[in-house]
Amino acid sequence: MNRIAVALWNPIVEKEYRSRMRTWRSPAAMTVYILLLGGLGWAIFSSEASSAQNSLNPGQAAGFGQSLFLWLIIFQMVLLAFITPALTAGAISSERERQTMDLLFVTRLPPFSILWGKLLASMSFALLLLLLSVPIFSLVFLFGGIELDQLASAFLVTAVAALTLGIIGSKPVAPPAITYLSPLIPLITIGMNQSISGYGVRNGPFVGSGGYSCSSNNGGPQVCYATAANGAPIGKAFVGQPPSYPPFQQSGTSIPSGLFAGWQYWQASIVEWLVVSAIALVISALLLPPVRRLPWGRRHPSPSLLGETGSGPNA
Amino acid sequence: MIAVEGLTKIYGHRRALDAVSFEVPKGEIFGFVGPNGAGKTTTLRILAALLDPTAGRAFIDGADVVQHPDRVHDRLGYMPDFFGVYDQLTAGEYLDFYAACYRQPKLRRRKIADDLLELVGLADRRDQSVDTLSRGMKQRLCLARSLVHDPAVLLLDEPASGLDPRARVEMREILKELQQMGKTIVISSHILPELTELCTMIGIIDHGQLRATGRVQDVIRQLTAGRRLRITVLGQREEAIALLKGLASVREVDVSNGSLEAAFEGDEATAAGILQALIAGGIKVSGFTQLEGGLEAAFLKVTTEGIG
Repeated sequence: MNRIAVALWNPIVEKEYRSRMRTWRSPAAMTVYILLLGGLGWAIFSSEASSAQNSLNPGQAAGFGQSLFLWLIIFQMVLLAFITPALTAGAISSERERQTMDLLFVTRLPPFSILWGKLLASMSFALLLLLLSVPIFSLVFLFGGIELDQLASAFLVTAVAALTLGIIGSKPVAPPAITYLSPLIPLITIGMNQSISGYGVRNGPFVGSGGYSCSSNNGGPQVCYATAANGAPIGKAFVGQPPSYPPFQQSGTSIPSGLFAGWQYWQASIVEWLVVSAIALVISALLLPPVRRLPWGRRHPSPSLLGETGSGPNA
Repeated sequence: MIAVEGLTKIYGHRRALDAVSFEVPKGEIFGFVGPNGAGKTTTLRILAALLDPTAGRAFIDGADVVQHPDRVHDRLGYMPDFFGVYDQLTAGEYLDFYAACYRQPKLRRRKIADDLLELVGLADRRDQSVDTLSRGMKQRLCLARSLVHDPAVLLLDEPASGLDPRARVEMREILKELQQMGKTIVISSHILPELTELCTMIGIIDHGQLRATGRVQDVIRQLTAGRRLRITVLGQREEAIALLKGLASVREVDVSNGSLEAAFEGDEATAAGILQALIAGGIKVSGFTQLEGGLEAAFLKVTTEGIG
C-alpha cells in the first residue's frame, strides 16, 4: 500500500505544483479559459433568455437548458482537447530540454513514478480548469432540463477524456504526429451523434403514446408524473398542471447492443478511455528510461564480443 | 570501490569505448582526462547506469551497473556536464526535492539541505531562486545535489568547465573536503594540469582507449620521460652539440630559434650534471632553462599518437 502511495504521490508532483503556480502563465491560462467558456455561455444564455422572454413553459426552458449545456460541454471538451496534450507533452519534453531527465533517473524514483508524477501534475491543471468552469455551468440550472447527476457524469466523461488525451499526447509514447492530431479524436467523436448521448443528455424522440398521470389529494396540490406508452411512470414527479406537450422519452442513453449492451453511453465511454489510458501509460513507462530494460529481455554483454574486444588492439 | 573491466561501447560503427579497464580504490580522486569526444562522458554514463555497455562490466562498490542499477544509484552521486536546474525553485527547495527523490525522510531533508549548502558555501543563498545564481554557484549547487543521499562514490563530469579561476579554487577546496570525508571521486576533464594538482590517480583516455593510468606521479613520469632543456650558448654551437650528444642522459639535440633544445631523461640532478659538463667543456652558457608545459605537450602527444 505504501509503495503504491509513494508511486502515486511523489516529490515530482509537489515540485511541479510549486513551480507551475509560480509563473504568470498559470493564472493567465485560467483567465483566458474562463473568458472563452464564459463568453460562449453568456452569448448563448442571452440569446436564449431573450427568445424565452415572450413565452416560457417548462418544456421550452428545459430545451434551452439542454442546448446551453450541450454547447458549453462540447466547447469545454474542445478546449481541453487542445490544452491537455499541450500540458503533458511539455511536461516530459521540458525535463529533456533542461537535461534533468538523467538526474531523475539516477535517483531512487522508478520510471513509472517519474512519468506518473509529471502527468499527474500537468493533468491536475486540466482538472483545475474543469473545476473553474462549474460556476459557468450553473447557468444551465436557471433553465432546468439538466439534472445534477447528468452534469456530474458529463464532467466525469470530460475529465477522463482529457486524462486519456493527456497520456496519449505525452511525448514518450506518441510520435509527434499523434500528439498534434490527438485533439482531433474528441472532435471526431463529437461529430458523431454518440457523444451527445455519451454526455448523458436525455434528448430522445418524443413519445406520442405516453402522457402524464396526475393525482390530487382532496384540495391539496396536484402531483403529476410522465408515463411511458405502457403507463409506467418515468422520471421525477412534479407539482402543478401537466404541460401541454408530451414528455421527453428517457430512453436513448443506454447502448442497445454489443459488448456494452445495457450500459449508459457515458459509462462505456469512460471505460474505453480508461483502457486506452492504461495501455498508453504502460507503453510510456517502458519507453521512458534511457536504458530500456524490458521485463522480457534483460540484456547481458555477449561473451563473444567480450573476447573480441579483449584481444583487440590496445595502444 | 570502482572497477571497470573491458568496457566497450559501440554506436553504429563507431567504437566510443574500446576495452577500457581501470580500478579506483576507496578514498582516491581519480582524474579522467582526454580530449572532447574521447569517451569520458560515455564511461561516466555507463558507471551511472544510464547507458548499457556493448561489452564489458563495471562495478560500483561491488554492484554491477547492468544487473543492479538500483544499488548503483544508492551508492552513487552523479553530476553531469550540464546544470540541470529548475528555475522556479529556491536553492533549498531544489535540494529538498532531490533528497525526497532519494527517499530521505521529510524530517531529515531540511537538515540535509542546510548541511550541504553550508558545505558548498551557499548557506546564505538558501531562499534565493536558482536561476539568479551565478554559474559557479549553480555548479556548486549541483555538486550539493549529487550528495543528498550521502553516496560513497561521486562521478563528476567536467565540474570545472566554464568556471573562473576563483570558482575553480573553491570547487577544488570542496572536493578536497569530500575526499577527507572518505568519498571516492571520479572527475573528468579535458585539461590535464587542472587535475594533476587535485587528483591522486589519473587515467588518460583518447579515441575510446585508455592510454595511461595509475598514480599521478607515475603517469607524469611516464609522460614526461624525456624532459627538454633550452640552452643558449655564445658561439661554439657545434662544440656544444657534439658535447651534448656525447652525454648518456641526452637523447637528442636540435636547434630552434638560435638556441639548442636538448631532450634528456632524468631528474633535476641530471639537468645540473648537463650544465656542469657544458661548463667543464669550456662552453660559454648564457641561458639554461627547463621548458615549461612539458606535461601538456606530452599529454597532447599521447592523445594524438594513436590516430595514424
